Amino acid sequence: MRILVVEDDVGIAEGLRTNLQQRGYVVDVCDGVASAWSALRAEPFDAVLLDLGLADGEGSELLQRLRTSPSTAALAAGTPALPDPATPVLIVTARDQVSQRIAGLDQGADDYLAKPFDVDELDARLRALLRRAAGRASPTIRYGDIEVDPAARTVVQDGQPVEMSPREFSVLLVLLQARGRVLSRQQIEERLYSWQSAIESNAVEVHIHHLRRKLGSGCIQTMRGVGYFMPQEPV
Amino acid sequence: MAASGSAAPPATGPARHSLTRHLLLWSLGALALVWGSFVFMGYRTGVHEADELTDGHLASVAALLTHLSGSEAVGNSAASRRSVAPWLKSHDYQQSISVVQWDAAGRVLVHSGSAPLPAFDAAEGFADLHLGPEAMAWRSFSQWDAPKTRKVMVLLESRERDELARDIAGQMIEPGLWLLPVVALALGLALRRGLRPLYALSADVAALDPASTQRLASRHAWSEFESVVASINTLLERQQEALVRERRLANEVAHELRTPLSSIALQAAALGGGLAPQAQAQAVARIGQDALRAGHVLNQLLALARASRAQLHETKAPVDLAATARAVCADYAQAAWQRGGEIDLVAPDALVLAGHAVLLDLALRNLVENALKHTPQGTRISVQIGQADTGAAWLQVCDDGARLQAAAGHTGVARPVDSLHLGHEIVLRVAQMHGAAFGAVAAPAPFTTCYRLDFPHPAAVAAG
Repeated sequence: MRILVVEDDVGIAEGLRTNLQQRGYVVDVCDGVASAWSALRAEPFDAVLLDLGLADGEGSELLQRLRTSPSTAALAAGTPALPDPATPVLIVTARDQVSQRIAGLDQGADDYLAKPFDVDELDARLRALLRRAAGRASPTIRYGDIEVDPAARTVVQDGQPVEMSPREFSVLLVLLQARGRVLSRQQIEERLYSWQSAIESNAVEVHIHHLRRKLGSGCIQTMRGVGYFMPQEPV
Repeated sequence: MAASGSAAPPATGPARHSLTRHLLLWSLGALALVWGSFVFMGYRTGVHEADELTDGHLASVAALLTHLSGSEAVGNSAASRRSVAPWLKSHDYQQSISVVQWDAAGRVLVHSGSAPLPAFDAAEGFADLHLGPEAMAWRSFSQWDAPKTRKVMVLLESRERDELARDIAGQMIEPGLWLLPVVALALGLALRRGLRPLYALSADVAALDPASTQRLASRHAWSEFESVVASINTLLERQQEALVRERRLANEVAHELRTPLSSIALQAAALGGGLAPQAQAQAVARIGQDALRAGHVLNQLLALARASRAQLHETKAPVDLAATARAVCADYAQAAWQRGGEIDLVAPDALVLAGHAVLLDLALRNLVENALKHTPQGTRISVQIGQADTGAAWLQVCDDGARLQAAAGHTGVARPVDSLHLGHEIVLRVAQMHGAAFGAVAAPAPFTTCYRLDFPHPAAVAAG
């Protein structure tokens, strides 16, 4: 899961990056409205953690621009375009008055968290946001005999735990959440690596190979020349 | 628009007197006093008129009888009783008159009526007599005939005269006895109706919420209320401004405290999750920095509390602003140098004003700290002090941070939108305590940002 942290305080931004990375997220950090808008237009993010008071403006401006961006029409026309106005946004701010929370939610935020906060709570809220964005109510994802728990980052097949690396888990999660839809190698990489990460040329293929070996060759399908996908219904 | 209606405000504390009742009691009291005066005067007039009436009556009868021919003397006990005339209608003014006639020797010639026989003497005119064994009061009039051979005395019992006086007075009082309650009722209604604008104003004031932006409605257009409504609205505005200021300050304090605390919590959580040695050292260092940041905010809050509580008149003393500025600049020279910038001071050798030395030092430190904190590396900061033509002192802290940012290609707002205005709030409060004005002013070249304190004229400080 790739998260964009928009925060101008270096301590908080780095703290969020470290903690979320420890929990398996891919994290990119922007310190202002302008840089965050550029990032959202350049890369797909699964969620945005947004501070309100930023060095070059209000986080709410970014939220409004995101929510009113015309990408929905472009997507309907079949053109992949960014930013995605449906990207879940969690406001993380020191402003904790009820009126400010209401204003933030009314402007299109999906959730609101006042500083200081517990990292576990932030993680839980992020998972809930991602779950809602994927249209799921259950905290776990079932796919045939495979059960994936994003919170615990565990995979169980036929009742047996399956060991896998954080990166393999992330690839599996990305494909599961996009099931029925083909994802190119680049799209998968975008969700796996932040700007700071070095991407190995065949990393995605290696992870797919390992996943097939652990979960069975039929669970992830290849569309030659296009990418990989997990069928809507398990084979 | 304030709420209207005549709902009474909730009772708080001991029961208060009602203005309506107060006014009604005073009005009725005044009315009763005036009416009482009328009644008293009426009674006096009644008595006086009854006196004149009966005295005139007595004199008329006596004059009539003196012209009648005399008669033979009768015995002292041979009084002729008044003949009963049942056909004569009995009314309030029917009086029984007694008559006594004497000859010059004092022998009784006529004695009619119920009056006991008075003693004979030669005196003429009106007299009050007490006759009979019960010494009943009688009013009499005596008159001799022209040749002084016969004296006629006409008597009327004083009780009858008093009854007549009371009757006359009663006739005057009577309308008041039923009119007074009616007048009181009408007066009460009129007072209530007349005081309705006051009730409305009272209800509107009671319904005011100082936290909202409402004002007293313009419907209270009575000239007597103008100053009251204007004063209340002015107070409301001040209260609301103070609330907004306090709310903003609370937000800023919350932000300033929560940011380092959040960072500390995140670094601590990251440390708990296991970090590489270098990242671990960085996290620990950041925790230390953030703890110092939080401590600094606490110090600012304490300073703000001190500034809010201090009373200038208690501590007003001559302060050399130039010396204070020199000390502050010296303290921050190292910090500016570390950022690749510099601090300079433009000030006269001495500039003394009456004020609070500690608070002025605090204000100046905050201005310099803000300039250091919210500008890019290499920023030049200038502390400038001077005196206007009027003799009023001023102090400003300028920097060229925005020019450096522009040169570096940064656009947008240079200073954090939601950041440390706590320092400025402290400066503002110190300024208010000194009667000074504080705010951003146009920066003199080559500076781009300037915050200035304009102190009042020394005479105003001395007076205030």
